[in-house]
Amino acid sequence: MPTPTPESFRPSADLSRPVINLSVALGDRPGRAFFGCSDFKVYEADLAAAKVEFTELHAAHGSYVTGVAFAAGSVVSGAYDGKLVWWDAAARRVVRTVDAHAKWVRKVIASPDGTLIASVADDMVCKLWNARTGAVVKELRGHAAQTPTHFPSMLYGVCFSPDGRKLATCDKVGKVVVWDTASGNQVGTVESPGMYTWDAVQRLHSIGGARSVAFSPDGRYLAVGGIGKIGNIDHLEGKARVEVFTVADGKSHWVWESDKYKGLMNRLAFAPDGSWLLAAGGAGEGHFEFLDVAAKRAKRQDKLTMHTHDFAHSADWSTVVYAGHNRVVVHKTA
Amino acid sequence: MLPKFFPGSAAHRVHRRGFLGAAAAAGVAADMTGLSVLGSPALAAELRRTQKRVILLFLAGGASQLETFDPKPGAPTGGPFRSIQTDVPGVRISELMPKLATRMKDVCLVRGLNTRIGDHGGGAKLMMRGRRDEANLRYPDLGAVVAREMGKPDSQVPDYVTFYTQTEGRGMTPGDSGFLGARYAPMELTTNNTPEFIRRLDSINDADHRERAELRDLLGRDFVQGRTSDTLGSHAEAYGRVRGIMGSERLFDVSQESQATRDKYGPTQFGQQALIARRLVEAGVPFVRVARAWWDSHGQNFETHQEMVPELDHVMSTLLDDLKDRGLRDDVMVVTLSEFGRTPNINASLGRDHFASAWSMSMTGAGAKGGAVWGRTDARGQTVTHEEVNAANLFATIYAALGISPHKNYYVGSRPIPLVDPGAEPIAALIK
Repeated sequence: MPTPTPESFRPSADLSRPVINLSVALGDRPGRAFFGCSDFKVYEADLAAAKVEFTELHAAHGSYVTGVAFAAGSVVSGAYDGKLVWWDAAARRVVRTVDAHAKWVRKVIASPDGTLIASVADDMVCKLWNARTGAVVKELRGHAAQTPTHFPSMLYGVCFSPDGRKLATCDKVGKVVVWDTASGNQVGTVESPGMYTWDAVQRLHSIGGARSVAFSPDGRYLAVGGIGKIGNIDHLEGKARVEVFTVADGKSHWVWESDKYKGLMNRLAFAPDGSWLLAAGGAGEGHFEFLDVAAKRAKRQDKLTMHTHDFAHSADWSTVVYAGHNRVVVHKTA
Repeated sequence: MLPKFFPGSAAHRVHRRGFLGAAAAAGVAADMTGLSVLGSPALAAELRRTQKRVILLFLAGGASQLETFDPKPGAPTGGPFRSIQTDVPGVRISELMPKLATRMKDVCLVRGLNTRIGDHGGGAKLMMRGRRDEANLRYPDLGAVVAREMGKPDSQVPDYVTFYTQTEGRGMTPGDSGFLGARYAPMELTTNNTPEFIRRLDSINDADHRERAELRDLLGRDFVQGRTSDTLGSHAEAYGRVRGIMGSERLFDVSQESQATRDKYGPTQFGQQALIARRLVEAGVPFVRVARAWWDSHGQNFETHQEMVPELDHVMSTLLDDLKDRGLRDDVMVVTLSEFGRTPNINASLGRDHFASAWSMSMTGAGAKGGAVWGRTDARGQTVTHEEVNAANLFATIYAALGISPHKNYYVGSRPIPLVDPGAEPIAALIK
């Protein structure tokens, strides 16, 4: 199927929510979506319905649900309580709760073939789980627990390569580790320190970090999303920033900083043919960008109605669902 | 040729460069007005008896009460961090402070602060003084008052030291002795952990410097004979203090501590300054402020507090333990205070903004009652529902817990100035 053009995406729905929508995953049929939220709950919605309603799936978490994935017939969620919860879509109940991480879970994703779940947390460990049984498959350790200035670090993002054979994780100080999924071995690292601002003089703390990663479909590029250098770290006032590396040699191919928008780039995803990279995030307001990585230019930069924490897309990219601060926005291709 | 005010005897012969002239002496003495206790031995004895000291950990910028001492997990305003049980039954604090959670039986917690001023400058001035300045009257801050009340007239160490080595917010929160004058102004460390300008000049060796002081003392004693003057006494004390303060440079040197002790406090600037603060109060410095800036998390509040609260937890716990181990728990009060707290509402950048309507502080040691909690906020942390505390009552409580009567008067001219705003009373439940 042809890849939609960036201009073809149009707002289809803008739904108000009383919570912060921190994570989203699409289900096994058109319109079915799952949301991890700030009220510690996981919700399901049929976004194709004439009247969209958000139904609570479970309240099994004890904190912000920052990651949600759909795989092997289950909705798998992760939260700041360190737990992963499996909710069985057929039985419509929680079937498993795992004390997955020692610290706050930041992201939960499914492998492209749906057999694995990957979770990252501030214990600086990426764990791979059997999506069906919940058994731990691998524990990936390669990120430092502390920043160079002796403060706790965070492990923000994770992605699989399209063929599932590689995995990338990214942290607070901009270190990105590439792993071989099967063996769990590190196969490369890249550094994107421009995402991390440490203020040694004015405020003596840091902000930013590499928040998202994505492999290009051909495996040639690895994109890292975050925020540029910030002068006043009381606010997210750095430019929205994406750095793209060539996987083969780990060199920086392109650094893009928005000339329109500030804030974090919280989620990235390449088009199926690699012709663009979709990035979304925000600061006080939200925005999304379509970037042409090969040509090194932005094809489209536009507002979203909320700071966006996550997005999910259908396999054919006819639908993109953005989850953010008190809102869910749906874009469809014309 | 001998200066004309020398009596001319050989015992008074000047054999070095002349000492300061009368004008300079008078200038110094003017600052010392009211200091001298030469005429009041009972007062001097009283000051030596009390010996309470204060370390103020000033969390500049406004630390969030919801991510420290008054968490609301599960509330829409609560954020992602959970609460943990402390060693005080029924008292829970943020999971970001596991070390303090096992020490809360020693900590006196105030959760019901409503101080109404939500700008950094105004809030900082209020929370350093316990009151607002008048148009024509600058009140002394907590450090200056403690220095005045607890300082020894013959002290060889500074009375009031403040560390504020980040640049953000520093200009809004200088130490200020107000109408108490320069005698109680702080020694301000803003660029590093060792004071500037107290080191002896390289051109003067220690023996030379000592001989100058001895000559000054000798000439001064002879001059004072047959003369009665508080100014003369203050003058002598001032020079004694100068030499003593110059000798106190070593107190700021953490290399004097064992590596094990330095490792306990940790490698961060805040940790090292807290260690110096302990050294200073142990040597008799009445008041040390360690400002830890900058908590103003308008964006990314949870990331900021996830980074900074564990440091506070570690440093404060280490300091409390260290003071206890050294037998100083009953004499040294450790206070945590900001200029205000942070909004329960979470903004779109996952930040919290300024909020002075319902926030928290803590006091540990001296006369503060460990394990006591005063003040309750509603389920979302938006208002104080019980035992509301304003800045005046808070300061009355702090003074009372240090053994200082909050109803004591200073005088500016003939006008009596109470230590705290009229009508303010200490909270008896928080005092041993």
